[in-house]
Amino acid sequence: MAIEKKYIVDTTLRDGEQSPGIAFTLREKVSIAKALDKMGISRIEAGVPAMGQDERRAFEKIKLSCEKAEIVAWNRMNLEDIQASIDCGADIIHICVPASTLLIKEKLRKTNNVILEMIEVCADTIHKANKIFTIGLEDASRADWFFVEQIIQKAKDLKASTIRFADTVGILTPGTCNDFVKKLNTGIDLEIHMHNDLGMAVANSVSGTLSGAKYIDCTLFGIGERAGNCNLEHFLEVLDGQFNFGISLENLRRQQTKLKPIIFKTPSIV
Amino acid sequence: MAVIIDRTLTKIEADTMVPSDLLHFCELLFTCGVTKIEATPQVLTKINNFLLNPDLLSKTNAKTYFLTNYDGFFQLETNDLVEQNLDFSITATPHLNGIRLLGSDDLITRDYRTFFNNLLSSGSQYLDLCPSNKKHCATAIAIEWLLMGGQSVSCSFSGLNDDAPLEEVLMALKMNGQADLTGDLSVFKELRLLYEKLTGNIIPEKKAIIGQGIFKVESGIHVDGILKNPRIYEPFSPESVGNKREIILGKHSGQQSVIYKMRELNLSEAGVSTVLLHLKQHCANVGKSFSDLELCTLVREVHNGY
Repeated sequence: MAIEKKYIVDTTLRDGEQSPGIAFTLREKVSIAKALDKMGISRIEAGVPAMGQDERRAFEKIKLSCEKAEIVAWNRMNLEDIQASIDCGADIIHICVPASTLLIKEKLRKTNNVILEMIEVCADTIHKANKIFTIGLEDASRADWFFVEQIIQKAKDLKASTIRFADTVGILTPGTCNDFVKKLNTGIDLEIHMHNDLGMAVANSVSGTLSGAKYIDCTLFGIGERAGNCNLEHFLEVLDGQFNFGISLENLRRQQTKLKPIIFKTPSIV
Repeated sequence: MAVIIDRTLTKIEADTMVPSDLLHFCELLFTCGVTKIEATPQVLTKINNFLLNPDLLSKTNAKTYFLTNYDGFFQLETNDLVEQNLDFSITATPHLNGIRLLGSDDLITRDYRTFFNNLLSSGSQYLDLCPSNKKHCATAIAIEWLLMGGQSVSCSFSGLNDDAPLEEVLMALKMNGQADLTGDLSVFKELRLLYEKLTGNIIPEKKAIIGQGIFKVESGIHVDGILKNPRIYEPFSPESVGNKREIILGKHSGQQSVIYKMRELNLSEAGVSTVLLHLKQHCANVGKSFSDLELCTLVREVHNGY
């Protein structure tokens, strides 16, 4: 019997690079992306084109250098940001939608209805550019469930291809992660994005995968904000042989050894 | 009431330990919420003047002992737990002195809930779970066990020798509404420093809960959120674990970060957009973050018309 296929979304170049002290030059970004593509990563979240000209140039070069991986551009719900992502050739335009009351009220200072309207405007621009459209629920693990359901319905209506469930501040346990993923798994591809604040990013990602998530966000060496993201190598070690991720652990380790000096310019960070 | 056992002192060489450091380490472990400290006779001999019942060491022949805290005094008891490898197919058999279940790296990939339920209804007097962290999931296994009603877990500070990291288990309990099981976690910084002194092991910057660098923040989006309300991007406050927040300037910085830093360093805020442009360009070119000294120099250059 064929092993079920699941997909890795590597966010080393986006969430990983946001880790303080980590910064890649244009050439380094392209080298990392090429290595990720060769090792069989399905989707590479290559950065935030809205950051500026250098980032957009990096995207263009990454797009030309990668043979198989789809290139994801991360965006705020902002049409200028989205246009920058479309212009630099990203395959997938991902929009980050704040899902928790804390983010909506205290950071964006907006209302739930405004958020839902903004998703529609963004989706329209992305569809007109004929790009794949994915939605990320930022801080979904602390969100009001009723609003999460509203966003999911909106995502389905607007033909988003994937919903990303983000445990932005890393507070889930495998049990709660399992419950969320099962509730979310209703007719749209599900992606999970776990943070390691309580040391459970790998376990939660495993739990989410077993509960039905199709795409799993990871970074090389687990780099990322605060205590980091789900460590790709560790994640694959735990589920070795249970799913087909299209990645050889041995090859991943070889590539990581080569990339380590590029990623950690400060040796003390690991 | 669940029991949290710390086993760090079963794995550290006693020879070079200074008794006062050892005592302080034990005090801090009890302060953060440890119920029992497991230690070898060699370690305990170093502090036997401070034990309520030191005779136990000479009268018994246990491999390890437990220290408990009685109003600031350390009481010794033998460790009578029968160790058993945690195999998914086993059901623990009742044992008078209690059982410690060890190992099971891949439990998280199995139906651990049913397994735990079976264990909990097995009639065992006392079940201590000591999961291995070889597959990076020991904290999760320990937490699931305790949240399902498990009586006891064994851990080690910073996950020494592949145990579940104590600090992660305690914080996860606190975050999951079990604050009555934990103590004052702000002693983690002191514990980390003492642990580094006792073991010579340096805790990685990004180690969950106790890493020195976990509250450093660079990205403009995150700094903006944190300045509005730290809870937006911090699951617990830096102070709650004895740490502090630090805003770092780099390739991902936004204007708010630069203004914050300028105020912190008593620099004039004039020309902030130019400063931001130059520093981001510099960081993108060299692939590193920007130090305070570099910021002072850049601000001076921008003000001088560079």
